[in-house]
Amino acid sequence: MSSQRPNYLFFLPMLVVLGLYGSAFATFVLTSFYRGTSDGRVDTSDAGLQNYSRFFETPAPAATLADTFLISLLLTIITLVLAYPFAYLLTRTQSSGLRRFLLGAVMVTFLSGGITRAYAWMVVLGNSGLINRSLLALGLDRLPLVHNLTGVVIALVHFLLPFCILTLIGTFQTLPRNLEEASTSLGASRLRTFWTVVVPLTLRGAVGAGVLTLSVAVSAFLFPLLLGGGRVRMMSNHIYELIFINFDIPYAAATALIFLVVTVVAISALTVALGRVVDDRRWGAAR
Amino acid sequence: MIRDFRSFGSAVMALTATVTAFLLLPILVIFYYAAQDGAYFQLVPRGLSWRWFVSAWENERFVAAAINSLVTGLIVTPLSVALAIPTAFVLVRYDLPLKAAVNVLIMSPLLVPGVVSGIAFLTFFGVINLYSGGVRNILAMLCFTFPFAVRAIVANLQGIGPVWEDAAESLGARRWQVWAWVLLPMLRPGMLASAIFVFVETIDNFSITVFLVSRNSMTIPIEVYNYIKDFDDPSVAVVAVVSVLISTALMFAVERLIGLERFLKNS
Repeated sequence: MSSQRPNYLFFLPMLVVLGLYGSAFATFVLTSFYRGTSDGRVDTSDAGLQNYSRFFETPAPAATLADTFLISLLLTIITLVLAYPFAYLLTRTQSSGLRRFLLGAVMVTFLSGGITRAYAWMVVLGNSGLINRSLLALGLDRLPLVHNLTGVVIALVHFLLPFCILTLIGTFQTLPRNLEEASTSLGASRLRTFWTVVVPLTLRGAVGAGVLTLSVAVSAFLFPLLLGGGRVRMMSNHIYELIFINFDIPYAAATALIFLVVTVVAISALTVALGRVVDDRRWGAAR
Repeated sequence: MIRDFRSFGSAVMALTATVTAFLLLPILVIFYYAAQDGAYFQLVPRGLSWRWFVSAWENERFVAAAINSLVTGLIVTPLSVALAIPTAFVLVRYDLPLKAAVNVLIMSPLLVPGVVSGIAFLTFFGVINLYSGGVRNILAMLCFTFPFAVRAIVANLQGIGPVWEDAAESLGARRWQVWAWVLLPMLRPGMLASAIFVFVETIDNFSITVFLVSRNSMTIPIEVYNYIKDFDDPSVAVVAVVSVLISTALMFAVERLIGLERFLKNS
Protein backbone atom coordinates (compact mmCIF):
# COMPACT_ATOMS: atom_id res chain seq x y z
CA MET A 1 0.00 0.00 0.00
CA SER A 2 2.47 2.59 -1.16
CA SER A 3 -0.13 4.97 -2.56
CA GLN A 4 -1.61 6.57 0.50
CA ARG A 5 -3.04 10.05 0.49
CA PRO A 6 0.12 12.15 0.70
CA ASN A 7 0.56 14.49 3.61
CA TYR A 8 2.28 17.45 1.95
CA LEU A 9 3.78 18.65 5.24
CA PHE A 10 6.05 15.59 5.03
CA PHE A 11 7.82 17.14 2.05
CA LEU A 12 8.82 20.25 4.00
CA PRO A 13 11.97 18.89 5.75
CA MET A 14 13.60 17.68 2.57
CA LEU A 15 12.73 20.93 0.80
CA VAL A 16 14.39 22.91 3.61
CA VAL A 17 17.59 20.83 3.58
CA LEU A 18 17.81 20.56 -0.20
CA GLY A 19 17.00 24.27 -0.50
CA LEU A 20 19.86 25.17 1.81
CA TYR A 21 22.34 22.86 0.11
CA GLY A 22 21.09 23.89 -3.33
CA SER A 23 21.48 27.61 -2.54
CA ALA A 24 25.02 27.00 -1.32
CA PHE A 25 25.78 25.10 -4.48
CA ALA A 26 24.25 27.73 -6.76
CA THR A 27 26.26 30.51 -5.07
CA PHE A 28 29.39 28.43 -5.46
CA VAL A 29 28.84 27.88 -9.19
CA LEU A 30 28.06 31.58 -9.73
CA THR A 31 31.16 32.63 -7.79
CA SER A 32 33.36 30.57 -10.09
CA PHE A 33 32.55 32.97 -12.98
CA TYR A 34 33.61 36.15 -11.16
CA ARG A 35 37.04 37.58 -10.53
CA GLY A 36 38.88 37.40 -7.22
CA THR A 37 40.31 40.68 -5.95
CA SER A 38 43.77 40.94 -4.43
CA ASP A 39 42.30 41.40 -0.92
CA GLY A 40 40.48 38.05 -1.07
CA ARG A 41 37.05 39.31 -2.03
CA VAL A 42 34.83 38.66 -5.02
CA ASP A 43 34.49 41.28 -7.76
CA THR A 44 31.01 40.79 -9.21
CA SER A 45 31.36 43.49 -11.88
CA ASP A 46 32.57 41.26 -14.66
CA ALA A 47 31.70 37.65 -15.20
CA GLY A 48 33.39 35.25 -17.57
CA LEU A 49 35.25 32.03 -18.02
CA GLN A 50 38.65 33.44 -17.01
CA ASN A 51 39.00 31.12 -13.99
CA TYR A 52 38.34 28.08 -16.14
CA SER A 53 40.87 29.05 -18.80
CA ARG A 54 43.37 29.74 -16.02
CA PHE A 55 43.06 26.15 -14.83
CA PHE A 56 44.43 24.94 -18.16
CA GLU A 57 47.07 27.67 -18.66
CA THR A 58 49.73 25.76 -16.75
CA PRO A 59 49.96 21.97 -16.64
CA ALA A 60 50.25 21.84 -12.82
CA PRO A 61 46.54 21.84 -11.80
CA ALA A 62 45.62 19.14 -14.33
CA ALA A 63 48.65 17.10 -13.24
CA THR A 64 47.47 17.28 -9.61
CA LEU A 65 44.05 16.09 -10.78
CA ALA A 66 45.62 13.15 -12.64
CA ASP A 67 47.83 12.30 -9.62
CA THR A 68 44.75 12.32 -7.40
CA PHE A 69 43.10 9.66 -9.55
CA LEU A 70 46.25 7.54 -9.87
CA ILE A 71 46.83 7.56 -6.10
CA SER A 72 43.14 6.78 -5.51
CA LEU A 73 43.23 3.86 -7.94
CA LEU A 74 46.29 2.43 -6.17
CA LEU A 75 44.57 2.90 -2.79
CA THR A 76 41.41 1.21 -4.04
CA ILE A 77 43.26 -1.86 -5.32
CA ILE A 78 45.25 -2.32 -2.09
CA THR A 79 42.17 -1.76 0.07
CA LEU A 80 40.03 -4.18 -1.91
CA VAL A 81 42.67 -6.94 -1.79
CA LEU A 82 42.94 -6.59 2.01
CA ALA A 83 39.22 -6.10 2.67
CA TYR A 84 37.89 -8.98 0.56
CA PRO A 85 39.27 -11.99 2.50
CA PHE A 86 38.65 -10.17 5.81
CA ALA A 87 34.97 -9.58 4.99
CA TYR A 88 34.64 -13.14 3.66
CA LEU A 89 36.00 -14.69 6.86
CA LEU A 90 33.93 -12.31 8.99
CA THR A 91 30.64 -13.34 7.37
CA ARG A 92 31.44 -17.06 7.06
CA THR A 93 33.10 -17.92 10.37
CA GLN A 94 31.24 -20.39 12.60
CA SER A 95 32.54 -18.69 15.72
CA SER A 96 30.32 -15.84 16.82
CA GLY A 97 33.06 -14.63 19.17
CA LEU A 98 35.50 -14.24 16.29
CA ARG A 99 32.86 -12.53 14.17
CA ARG A 100 32.08 -10.02 16.90
CA PHE A 101 35.75 -9.35 17.53
CA LEU A 102 36.44 -8.66 13.84
CA LEU A 103 33.32 -6.54 13.49
CA GLY A 104 34.29 -4.66 16.66
CA ALA A 105 37.77 -3.96 15.30
CA VAL A 106 36.26 -2.53 12.10
CA MET A 107 33.63 -0.47 13.93
CA VAL A 108 36.03 1.02 16.49
CA THR A 109 38.35 2.01 13.66
CA PHE A 110 35.46 3.40 11.65
CA LEU A 111 34.00 5.44 14.50
CA SER A 112 37.33 6.68 15.88
CA GLY A 113 37.48 9.65 13.58
CA GLY A 114 39.80 10.89 10.89
CA ILE A 115 41.98 13.26 12.90
CA THR A 116 42.59 10.60 15.57
CA ARG A 117 43.77 8.07 13.04
CA ALA A 118 45.84 10.50 11.00
CA TYR A 119 47.62 11.61 14.17
CA ALA A 120 48.09 8.02 15.34
CA TRP A 121 49.77 7.18 12.05
CA MET A 122 52.11 10.15 12.49
CA VAL A 123 53.13 8.64 15.84
CA VAL A 124 53.65 5.21 14.25
CA LEU A 125 55.40 6.31 11.06
CA GLY A 126 57.12 9.56 12.10
CA ASN A 127 60.90 10.05 12.05
CA SER A 128 61.05 9.32 15.78
CA GLY A 129 57.92 7.20 15.85
CA LEU A 130 57.31 3.58 16.69
CA ILE A 131 58.73 2.02 13.53
CA ASN A 132 61.82 4.21 13.25
CA ARG A 133 62.65 3.89 16.97
CA SER A 134 62.35 0.13 16.60
CA LEU A 135 64.63 0.14 13.56
CA LEU A 136 67.22 2.24 15.42
CA ALA A 137 67.02 -0.08 18.43
CA LEU A 138 67.76 -2.98 16.09
CA GLY A 139 70.76 -1.13 14.72
CA LEU A 140 69.14 -0.40 11.37
CA ASP A 141 68.68 2.89 9.51
CA ARG A 142 65.56 5.00 9.69
CA LEU A 143 63.03 4.68 6.89
CA PRO A 144 61.40 7.81 5.49
CA LEU A 145 57.74 6.96 6.13
CA VAL A 146 56.12 10.38 6.49
CA HIS A 147 56.05 13.43 4.24
CA ASN A 148 55.99 11.13 1.27
CA LEU A 149 53.59 8.92 -0.68
CA THR A 150 54.35 5.82 1.45
CA GLY A 151 52.95 7.37 4.62
CA VAL A 152 49.91 8.80 2.85
CA VAL A 153 49.10 5.44 1.25
CA ILE A 154 49.52 3.43 4.48
CA ALA A 155 47.33 5.78 6.50
CA LEU A 156 44.70 6.18 3.77
CA VAL A 157 44.38 2.41 3.28
CA HIS A 158 43.67 2.26 7.02
CA PHE A 159 41.07 5.00 6.62
CA LEU A 160 39.40 3.32 3.62
CA LEU A 161 39.34 -0.28 4.90
CA PRO A 162 36.21 0.05 7.10
CA PHE A 163 34.15 1.58 4.24
CA CYS A 164 35.21 -1.24 1.94
CA ILE A 165 34.81 -4.04 4.51
CA LEU A 166 31.35 -2.91 5.65
CA THR A 167 30.13 -2.79 2.03
CA LEU A 168 31.58 -6.23 1.26
CA ILE A 169 29.95 -7.76 4.36
CA GLY A 170 26.59 -6.87 2.79
CA THR A 171 27.60 -8.66 -0.40
CA PHE A 172 28.73 -11.86 1.33
CA GLN A 173 25.59 -11.93 3.47
CA THR A 174 23.43 -12.16 0.34
CA LEU A 175 25.48 -15.05 -1.11
CA PRO A 176 23.76 -18.30 -0.06
CA ARG A 177 26.15 -20.43 1.95
CA ASN A 178 24.90 -23.69 0.42
CA LEU A 179 26.47 -22.82 -2.94
CA GLU A 180 29.89 -23.18 -1.33
CA GLU A 181 28.79 -26.34 0.47
CA ALA A 182 27.52 -27.81 -2.82
CA SER A 183 30.81 -27.03 -4.48
CA THR A 184 32.96 -28.65 -1.79
CA SER A 185 30.67 -31.66 -1.45
CA LEU A 186 31.01 -32.24 -5.18
CA GLY A 187 34.73 -32.51 -4.63
CA ALA A 188 36.10 -29.04 -5.42
CA SER A 189 38.97 -27.92 -3.23
CA ARG A 190 38.65 -24.92 -0.91
CA LEU A 191 40.75 -22.81 -3.23
CA ARG A 192 38.83 -23.89 -6.32
CA THR A 193 35.49 -23.15 -4.60
CA PHE A 194 36.77 -19.71 -3.67
CA TRP A 195 37.88 -18.84 -7.19
CA THR A 196 35.10 -20.47 -9.20
CA VAL A 197 32.09 -19.96 -6.91
CA VAL A 198 32.65 -17.20 -4.36
CA VAL A 199 34.64 -14.70 -6.42
CA PRO A 200 32.49 -14.77 -9.61
CA LEU A 201 29.26 -14.48 -7.63
CA THR A 202 30.48 -11.57 -5.53
CA LEU A 203 32.26 -9.71 -8.35
CA ARG A 204 29.42 -7.21 -8.70
CA GLY A 205 29.50 -6.45 -4.98
CA ALA A 206 33.28 -6.14 -5.06
CA VAL A 207 33.01 -3.66 -7.93
CA GLY A 208 30.48 -1.67 -5.90
CA ALA A 209 32.76 -1.66 -2.87
CA GLY A 210 35.69 -0.63 -5.08
CA VAL A 211 33.78 2.27 -6.60
CA LEU A 212 32.71 3.47 -3.14
CA THR A 213 36.31 3.21 -1.92
CA LEU A 214 37.54 5.11 -4.96
CA SER A 215 35.05 7.93 -4.46
CA VAL A 216 36.07 8.31 -0.80
CA ALA A 217 39.76 8.14 -1.75
CA VAL A 218 39.47 10.83 -4.42
CA SER A 219 38.14 13.34 -1.88
CA ALA A 220 40.93 12.62 0.65
CA PHE A 221 42.06 15.82 2.32
CA LEU A 222 43.17 15.46 5.93
CA PHE A 223 45.50 12.47 5.48
CA PRO A 224 47.58 13.94 2.63
CA LEU A 225 47.60 17.24 4.56
CA LEU A 226 49.08 15.68 7.72
CA LEU A 227 51.13 12.74 6.42
CA GLY A 228 52.10 14.24 3.07
CA GLY A 229 53.73 17.28 4.70
CA GLY A 230 53.04 19.43 1.63
CA ARG A 231 54.88 17.02 -0.67
CA VAL A 232 51.93 14.79 -1.52
CA ARG A 233 49.12 17.00 -2.67
CA MET A 234 45.80 15.69 -3.79
CA MET A 235 43.11 17.83 -5.39
CA SER A 236 41.46 18.78 -2.09
CA ASN A 237 44.77 20.02 -0.71
CA HIS A 238 45.35 22.10 -3.86
CA ILE A 239 41.91 23.71 -3.54
CA TYR A 240 42.43 24.39 0.18
CA GLU A 241 45.70 26.19 -0.60
CA LEU A 242 43.99 28.34 -3.22
CA ILE A 243 41.67 29.62 -0.47
CA PHE A 244 43.90 29.80 2.60
CA ILE A 245 47.19 30.77 0.94
CA ASN A 246 46.15 32.63 -2.22
CA PHE A 247 42.75 33.89 -0.92
CA ASP A 248 41.36 33.49 -4.42
CA ILE A 249 37.84 32.19 -3.78
CA PRO A 250 36.49 32.42 -7.36
CA TYR A 251 39.46 30.55 -8.84
CA ALA A 252 39.22 27.96 -6.03
CA ALA A 253 35.50 27.58 -6.82
CA ALA A 254 36.21 27.03 -10.53
CA THR A 255 38.91 24.48 -9.70
CA ALA A 256 36.57 22.72 -7.28
CA LEU A 257 33.82 22.59 -9.91
CA ILE A 258 36.19 21.09 -12.50
CA PHE A 259 37.28 18.57 -9.87
CA LEU A 260 33.68 17.69 -9.04
CA VAL A 261 32.60 17.26 -12.67
CA VAL A 262 35.64 15.12 -13.54
CA THR A 263 35.08 12.97 -10.43
CA VAL A 264 31.38 12.39 -11.11
CA VAL A 265 31.98 11.61 -14.80
CA ALA A 266 34.96 9.33 -14.12
CA ILE A 267 33.21 7.38 -11.37
CA SER A 268 29.96 6.97 -13.33
CA ALA A 269 31.90 5.85 -16.43
CA LEU A 270 33.91 3.38 -14.36
CA THR A 271 30.75 2.00 -12.73
CA VAL A 272 29.11 1.43 -16.12
CA ALA A 273 32.25 -0.04 -17.71
CA LEU A 274 33.05 -2.40 -14.84
CA GLY A 275 29.39 -3.40 -14.62
CA ARG A 276 29.56 -4.52 -18.28
CA VAL A 277 32.75 -6.50 -17.72
CA VAL A 278 31.21 -8.20 -14.69
CA ASP A 279 28.03 -9.11 -16.58
CA ASP A 280 30.06 -10.60 -19.45
CA ARG A 281 32.10 -12.67 -17.02
CA ARG A 282 29.00 -13.99 -15.32
CA TRP A 283 27.33 -14.86 -18.58
CA GLY A 284 30.47 -16.72 -19.62
CA ALA A 285 30.57 -18.55 -16.32
CA ALA A 286 26.90 -19.53 -16.59
CA ARG A 287 27.53 -21.10 -19.98
CA MET B 1 38.16 -21.73 15.62
CA ILE B 2 39.94 -24.94 14.68
CA ARG B 3 37.21 -25.98 12.30
CA ASP B 4 37.37 -22.47 10.84
CA PHE B 5 41.03 -22.86 10.21
CA ARG B 6 40.43 -25.92 8.08
CA SER B 7 37.54 -24.42 6.14
CA PHE B 8 39.19 -21.13 5.22
CA GLY B 9 42.75 -22.06 4.52
CA SER B 10 45.80 -20.50 6.01
CA ALA B 11 46.07 -17.70 3.42
CA VAL B 12 42.70 -16.17 4.28
CA MET B 13 43.33 -16.59 8.01
CA ALA B 14 46.80 -15.03 7.83
CA LEU B 15 45.60 -12.10 5.75
CA THR B 16 42.69 -11.47 8.11
CA ALA B 17 44.98 -11.57 11.14
CA THR B 18 47.34 -9.09 9.45
CA VAL B 19 44.49 -6.74 8.53
CA THR B 20 43.12 -6.92 12.10
CA ALA B 21 46.54 -6.06 13.52
CA PHE B 22 46.88 -3.25 10.98
CA LEU B 23 43.45 -1.86 11.95
CA LEU B 24 44.16 -1.93 15.69
CA LEU B 25 47.86 -0.93 15.69
CA PRO B 26 47.46 2.87 15.55
CA ILE B 27 44.76 2.78 18.24
CA LEU B 28 46.93 0.73 20.61
CA VAL B 29 49.95 2.93 19.95
CA ILE B 30 47.99 6.06 20.77
CA PHE B 31 46.91 4.62 24.15
CA TYR B 32 50.51 3.73 24.94
CA TYR B 33 51.79 7.16 23.85
CA ALA B 34 49.24 9.00 25.98
CA ALA B 35 50.07 7.00 29.11
CA GLN B 36 53.89 7.20 29.08
CA ASP B 37 55.50 10.15 30.81
CA GLY B 38 58.06 11.28 28.21
CA ALA B 39 57.53 14.26 25.90
CA TYR B 40 58.38 12.16 22.85
CA PHE B 41 57.78 8.59 21.74
CA GLN B 42 59.85 6.01 23.65
CA LEU B 43 59.99 2.31 22.88
CA VAL B 44 60.45 1.51 26.55
CA PRO B 45 58.89 4.20 28.73
CA ARG B 46 60.70 5.58 31.76
CA GLY B 47 57.38 5.39 33.50
CA LEU B 48 53.65 5.76 33.14
CA SER B 49 51.84 8.87 34.24
CA TRP B 50 48.70 10.93 33.94
CA ARG B 51 50.65 14.09 33.19
CA TRP B 52 49.53 14.35 29.54
CA PHE B 53 45.92 13.84 30.59
CA VAL B 54 46.33 16.73 33.01
CA SER B 55 48.06 18.83 30.38
CA ALA B 56 45.26 18.18 27.83
CA TRP B 57 42.62 19.00 30.46
CA GLU B 58 44.41 22.24 31.34
CA ASN B 59 44.68 23.24 27.68
CA GLU B 60 41.89 25.81 27.38
CA ARG B 61 41.79 25.53 23.60
CA PHE B 62 41.10 21.78 23.74
CA VAL B 63 38.41 22.19 26.38
CA ALA B 64 36.71 25.00 24.46
CA ALA B 65 36.89 22.98 21.24
CA ALA B 66 35.48 19.89 22.96
CA ILE B 67 32.54 21.96 24.21
CA ASN B 68 31.98 23.40 20.72
CA SER B 69 32.07 19.93 19.17
CA LEU B 70 29.69 18.53 21.74
CA VAL B 71 27.20 21.40 21.44
CA THR B 72 27.28 21.19 17.63
CA GLY B 73 26.74 17.42 17.74
CA LEU B 74 23.90 17.72 20.23
CA ILE B 75 22.11 20.33 18.12
CA VAL B 76 22.66 18.71 14.71
CA THR B 77 21.82 15.12 15.71
CA PRO B 78 18.19 15.51 16.84
CA LEU B 79 17.49 18.04 14.06
CA SER B 80 18.90 15.81 11.35
CA VAL B 81 17.09 12.69 12.59
CA ALA B 82 13.80 14.58 13.04
CA LEU B 83 13.97 15.96 9.50
CA ALA B 84 14.96 12.54 8.13
CA ILE B 85 11.92 10.65 9.48
CA PRO B 86 9.24 12.31 7.31
CA THR B 87 11.64 12.33 4.36
CA ALA B 88 12.26 8.58 4.66
CA PHE B 89 8.50 8.05 4.91
CA VAL B 90 7.94 9.99 1.69
CA LEU B 91 10.69 8.01 -0.08
CA VAL B 92 9.45 4.60 1.04
CA ARG B 93 5.67 4.89 1.22
CA TYR B 94 4.57 7.50 -1.34
CA ASP B 95 4.24 7.09 -5.08
CA LEU B 96 6.43 9.87 -6.37
CA PRO B 97 7.21 10.83 -9.92
CA LEU B 98 11.01 10.80 -10.43
CA LYS B 99 11.58 9.07 -7.12
CA ALA B 100 15.02 7.83 -8.21
CA ALA B 101 16.06 11.40 -9.08
CA VAL B 102 14.80 12.73 -5.73
CA ASN B 103 16.79 10.01 -3.99
CA VAL B 104 19.99 10.91 -5.86
CA LEU B 105 19.42 14.57 -4.97
CA ILE B 106 19.02 13.76 -1.27
CA MET B 107 22.14 11.56 -1.27
CA SER B 108 24.21 14.05 -3.30
CA PRO B 109 26.07 15.63 -0.32
CA LEU B 110 27.64 12.19 0.24
CA LEU B 111 29.06 12.07 -3.27
CA VAL B 112 30.45 15.60 -3.34
CA PRO B 113 34.02 15.83 -1.97
CA GLY B 114 34.08 17.59 1.41
CA VAL B 115 36.30 20.41 0.24
CA VAL B 116 33.84 21.22 -2.58
CA SER B 117 30.90 21.37 -0.14
CA GLY B 118 33.09 23.45 2.18
CA ILE B 119 33.70 26.07 -0.51
CA ALA B 120 30.03 26.03 -1.49
CA PHE B 121 28.96 26.85 2.07
CA LEU B 122 31.77 29.41 2.43
CA THR B 123 30.61 31.37 -0.62
CA PHE B 124 26.92 31.10 0.32
CA PHE B 125 27.34 32.23 3.95
CA GLY B 126 29.51 35.10 2.69
CA VAL B 127 26.73 36.27 0.35
CA ILE B 128 24.02 36.12 3.03
CA ASN B 129 26.34 37.77 5.60
CA LEU B 130 26.24 34.93 8.09
CA TYR B 131 29.48 35.20 10.01
CA SER B 132 28.92 33.13 13.15
CA GLY B 133 31.25 30.15 12.71
CA GLY B 134 29.18 27.99 15.04
CA VAL B 135 25.90 28.61 13.17
CA ARG B 136 27.62 28.16 9.79
CA ASN B 137 28.98 24.81 10.88
CA ILE B 138 25.65 23.64 12.32
CA LEU B 139 23.80 24.44 9.08
CA ALA B 140 26.47 22.81 6.94
CA MET B 141 26.59 19.69 9.12
CA LEU B 142 22.80 19.44 8.98
CA CYS B 143 22.94 19.27 5.16
CA PHE B 144 25.95 16.96 5.16
CA THR B 145 24.56 14.45 7.69
CA PHE B 146 20.96 14.45 6.40
CA PRO B 147 21.64 11.68 3.82
CA PHE B 148 23.15 9.40 6.50
CA ALA B 149 20.09 9.90 8.67
CA VAL B 150 17.65 9.32 5.80
CA ARG B 151 19.46 6.19 4.62
CA ALA B 152 19.33 4.50 8.01
CA ILE B 153 15.63 5.23 8.53
CA VAL B 154 14.74 4.21 4.95
CA ALA B 155 16.38 0.81 5.56
CA ASN B 156 14.41 0.42 8.78
CA LEU B 157 11.10 1.49 7.22
CA GLN B 158 11.53 -0.87 4.26
CA GLY B 159 12.05 -3.70 6.71
CA ILE B 160 8.82 -2.92 8.57
CA GLY B 161 6.45 -2.84 5.60
CA PRO B 162 3.07 -1.07 5.62
CA VAL B 163 1.06 -3.95 7.13
CA TRP B 164 1.41 -2.73 10.73
CA GLU B 165 0.17 0.75 9.86
CA ASP B 166 -2.73 -0.75 7.89
CA ALA B 167 -3.62 -3.02 10.78
CA ALA B 168 -3.57 -0.13 13.26
CA GLU B 169 -5.70 2.02 10.95
CA SER B 170 -8.23 -0.71 10.30
CA LEU B 171 -8.56 -1.09 14.07
CA GLY B 172 -9.51 2.56 14.24
CA ALA B 173 -6.25 4.34 15.07
CA ARG B 174 -5.93 7.90 13.84
CA ARG B 175 -2.89 8.97 11.82
CA TRP B 176 -1.09 10.50 14.82
CA GLN B 177 -1.81 7.40 16.90
CA VAL B 178 -0.28 5.20 14.18
CA TRP B 179 2.85 7.34 14.35
CA ALA B 180 3.07 7.53 18.11
CA TRP B 181 2.26 3.90 18.94
CA VAL B 182 3.25 1.90 15.87
CA LEU B 183 5.70 3.61 13.56
CA LEU B 184 8.01 5.53 15.89
CA PRO B 185 8.51 2.61 18.31
CA MET B 186 9.30 0.30 15.37
CA LEU B 187 11.72 2.87 13.93
CA ARG B 188 13.86 2.96 17.08
CA PRO B 189 16.76 0.90 15.66
CA GLY B 190 16.90 3.09 12.55
CA MET B 191 16.71 6.27 14.62
CA LEU B 192 19.52 5.04 16.87
CA ALA B 193 21.71 4.06 13.90
CA SER B 194 21.10 7.38 12.19
CA ALA B 195 21.72 9.38 15.39
CA ILE B 196 25.07 7.66 15.92
CA PHE B 197 26.18 8.23 12.34
CA VAL B 198 25.07 11.86 12.38
CA PHE B 199 26.78 12.55 15.71
CA VAL B 200 30.05 10.89 14.74
CA GLU B 201 30.16 12.50 11.28
CA THR B 202 29.39 15.92 12.78
CA ILE B 203 32.02 15.96 15.51
CA ASP B 204 34.63 14.31 13.28
CA ASN B 205 34.21 16.49 10.20
CA PHE B 206 37.31 18.29 9.03
CA SER B 207 37.05 19.04 5.31
CA ILE B 208 33.84 21.11 5.47
CA THR B 209 34.16 22.52 8.99
CA VAL B 210 37.68 23.91 8.40
CA PHE B 211 36.24 26.43 5.90
CA LEU B 212 33.49 27.67 8.21
CA VAL B 213 34.55 27.98 11.85
CA SER B 214 36.22 31.03 13.32
CA ARG B 215 38.63 31.52 16.23
CA ASN B 216 36.07 30.96 18.97
CA SER B 217 34.03 28.22 17.29
CA MET B 218 36.85 25.75 16.57
CA THR B 219 35.86 22.09 16.87
CA ILE B 220 38.16 19.31 18.09
CA PRO B 221 39.50 18.15 14.70
CA ILE B 222 40.37 21.71 13.64
CA GLU B 223 41.93 22.60 17.00
CA VAL B 224 43.96 19.37 17.04
CA TYR B 225 45.21 20.13 13.53
CA ASN B 226 46.21 23.66 14.54
CA TYR B 227 47.96 22.30 17.62
CA ILE B 228 50.05 19.66 15.84
CA LYS B 229 51.20 22.21 13.28
CA ASP B 230 53.04 24.01 16.12
CA PHE B 231 53.64 21.50 18.91
CA ASP B 232 54.62 17.87 19.25
CA ASP B 233 53.72 16.34 22.60
CA PRO B 234 51.44 13.52 23.79
CA SER B 235 48.59 15.80 24.93
CA VAL B 236 47.07 15.35 21.45
CA ALA B 237 47.30 11.59 21.99
CA VAL B 238 45.07 12.11 25.05
CA VAL B 239 42.44 13.83 22.90
CA ALA B 240 42.69 10.89 20.47
CA VAL B 241 42.33 8.39 23.32
CA VAL B 242 39.20 10.15 24.54
CA SER B 243 37.63 10.04 21.08
CA VAL B 244 38.47 6.34 20.70
CA LEU B 245 36.89 5.70 24.11
CA ILE B 246 33.76 7.58 23.08
CA SER B 247 33.47 5.58 19.86
CA THR B 248 34.04 2.31 21.72
CA ALA B 249 31.35 3.26 24.21
CA LEU B 250 28.95 4.07 21.35
CA MET B 251 29.71 0.70 19.81
CA PHE B 252 29.00 -1.20 23.02
CA ALA B 253 25.81 0.78 23.47
CA VAL B 254 24.71 -0.27 19.97
CA GLU B 255 25.63 -3.90 20.66
CA ARG B 256 23.56 -3.86 23.85
CA LEU B 257 20.57 -1.99 22.41
CA ILE B 258 20.09 -3.47 18.95
CA GLY B 259 23.12 -5.67 18.15
CA LEU B 260 25.94 -4.69 15.82
CA GLU B 261 24.79 -6.81 12.91
CA ARG B 262 21.30 -5.37 12.95
CA PHE B 263 22.86 -1.91 13.24
CA LEU B 264 24.84 -2.56 10.04
CA LYS B 265 21.71 -3.66 8.20
CA ASN B 266 20.09 -0.38 9.18
CA SER B 267 22.87 1.82 7.86
